[in-house]
Amino acid sequence: MMPNVLINNLPYLLKGALVTLELSVVVLIAGNLLGLVIGIVATSVGRIGQSLITAYIFVLRGIPILVIMLLGYYAFPALGYRVPAYVAVGVAQIIYVSAFVAEIVRSAILSVPSGQIAAARSLGMRRFSILKEIVLPQATRIAIPPLLNNSLTAIKQTSYVSVVGVWELTYAAREVVERTLASFQIFLGVMAIYFIICYPLSLLARRWERRAAVVQ
Amino acid sequence: MPMIEIRDLRKSYAELEVLKGISFDVEKGEVVVVLGPSGSGKSTMLRCINLLEEFQGGGIRIDGEAIGYTTTEGGKRRRRKEAENAKLREQVGMVFQSFNLFPHRTVLQNVMMGPLKVKGIARREAEALARDLLKKVGLLDKADQYPARLSGGQQQRVGIARALAMQPKVMLFDEVTSALDPELVGEVLRVMRQLAQEGMTMIIVTHEIHFARDVGDRIIFMDHGAIVEEGPPANILANPKSDRFKQFLRRYQGDYLDT
Amino acid sequence: MDFLVNLLAIWARLYPSLVSGFAVTISVALAAIPLALLGALLLTPLRMWGGSIIHAVTGAYIEFMRNTPLLLQIYLIYFGLPLLGLYPSEFMCGVIGIAMQHAAFLAEIYRGGIESISQRQWDAARAMGMTWATALRNVILPQAGLRILGPIGNQLIILVKDTSLVSAIGVVDLTMVGKVSIERLAVTLEIFLAIALIYLALTGALGAVLRIIERRVLERIG
Repeated sequence: MMPNVLINNLPYLLKGALVTLELSVVVLIAGNLLGLVIGIVATSVGRIGQSLITAYIFVLRGIPILVIMLLGYYAFPALGYRVPAYVAVGVAQIIYVSAFVAEIVRSAILSVPSGQIAAARSLGMRRFSILKEIVLPQATRIAIPPLLNNSLTAIKQTSYVSVVGVWELTYAAREVVERTLASFQIFLGVMAIYFIICYPLSLLARRWERRAAVVQ
Repeated sequence: MPMIEIRDLRKSYAELEVLKGISFDVEKGEVVVVLGPSGSGKSTMLRCINLLEEFQGGGIRIDGEAIGYTTTEGGKRRRRKEAENAKLREQVGMVFQSFNLFPHRTVLQNVMMGPLKVKGIARREAEALARDLLKKVGLLDKADQYPARLSGGQQQRVGIARALAMQPKVMLFDEVTSALDPELVGEVLRVMRQLAQEGMTMIIVTHEIHFARDVGDRIIFMDHGAIVEEGPPANILANPKSDRFKQFLRRYQGDYLDT
Repeated sequence: MDFLVNLLAIWARLYPSLVSGFAVTISVALAAIPLALLGALLLTPLRMWGGSIIHAVTGAYIEFMRNTPLLLQIYLIYFGLPLLGLYPSEFMCGVIGIAMQHAAFLAEIYRGGIESISQRQWDAARAMGMTWATALRNVILPQAGLRILGPIGNQLIILVKDTSLVSAIGVVDLTMVGKVSIERLAVTLEIFLAIALIYLALTGALGAVLRIIERRVLERIG
């Protein structure tokens, strides 16, 4: 059986894939940056700041992203703002991803042995240069594999925006299936598109994991 | 018939020949100490006797049974079945440099595991045997501890008890004190010395030259995958013939004089 | 104060639907967890010790599941099975989809655990005369099992959160209750708080229990 339906609808689906890619790039860049800042700040502020950040991370990581997206979707209008749906859920996705990134960054920084910091201090280095020259380079090596895996999850979960009516690849797939009823062809085809986007990242993550294992 | 018979043992990794035709016998109750610099192939030779390493040429017999491979009448070499080899390994106890205790089991359970899971001995009997052996190595009071709580010396004594629990015909010791702090070496050597006195057949790979002279019936010096010299400890240590053995003894002379 | 009174009033009104939504969420999780754990148990030996064809097929399955969105996997089952003449309930479709993806992730965790056990443990076991199977069962698997408790726990927490995706195919779980209530009552924050708190309690409690178990086990064996 030739996958005719898939081929006929491929241009439409690829348009959806483009939106998925755009959304992924925005969410990944903003989510990782925000999480990076929060994670670094978490290790260098006072107790109250730490508690706030801990709460931020704990709450977001403990709730399904779908629920966070519902909040984003309904909260803006409830507060009196008129915001397009894709902006509302995009913001929700960015915030959600940032919590995971913050936790990865924070625990990577904390896993740098305290002796390293003591040694740097004894050389007379200042706090900022200790962070920049000593802590972050070591933490980066630890954080990269989980960050890559987290990005993989983030890309896959952009598909959930379709549930609240934002048009992208998964939404387009559902439209085509409703019209043609060719669920296997279309969904498998669309999953293949996601696979093509995700798999290279997956391989990269695995390579970094192996490299980290060798260093240890 | 010798207890251990090694004939023209050859082993190579790709191009690199690590054992170049090793032959020697060990009689029942004899203690043979193997000395040699690291990379001389002595540990590999030991691991071949227990078939933890495959070998490509020659043969090893324990109490007359060929280990690992049989040779058919046509001279064709065939690997024995996994179950057969496992059966043969039961007769050979081995103690490792890195202890290799099972961290998820208590000391007692470590010692009982062989009798229970390999020999299929009843639990009560296995426990009685294990307690006897722990008493012998002086660790009965640690029976219910997990290995992580024990010092290196204690862990290694458990390793010896675990190997003895299989009631092997032969015991192999692979640099069993090399990973220990100096102050913990004595307690392990004491147990090994006692075993030797009780008439256990043993091959000991070590760097403890003093111990080798005291306990060994015979010393074999290996280098570059071959036996360079062998003989009774008193002769061979006092009058090393080859330069390589002289050099080796000079390097470990410190240990030799200190102890 | 007004907000608090208002909040409690809304929660009281929602109480029956929250309870039923919670029950559905728990049911999905409780059905999917054993399926995923068992599925992974089936995949792992095929992946690790199967012949080259079995190895390739299980590998492809695992990679495909790990690199495509769970939502689409659920859609594929929900919209695809009817074409084969099968009509499982929405609930079943959700459970199967979740279990299939998480089995793939768990299989990788199992494999990682087994491969992380040092060759020396194999040596020690085989030196005692254990066959490969005996060594695997008595020495390797118990240690691997202890080592992967933490990662399995994390994966199960993700699974619990992923149960919310069943709302996308019409199962009235906690997330669906939240969505419908927000639309019906036209209040957002109060309802969101209720839903969020329930999920948080669920994942938080699961996490705490798993951490306690892990600590108990690991402190024994160091």
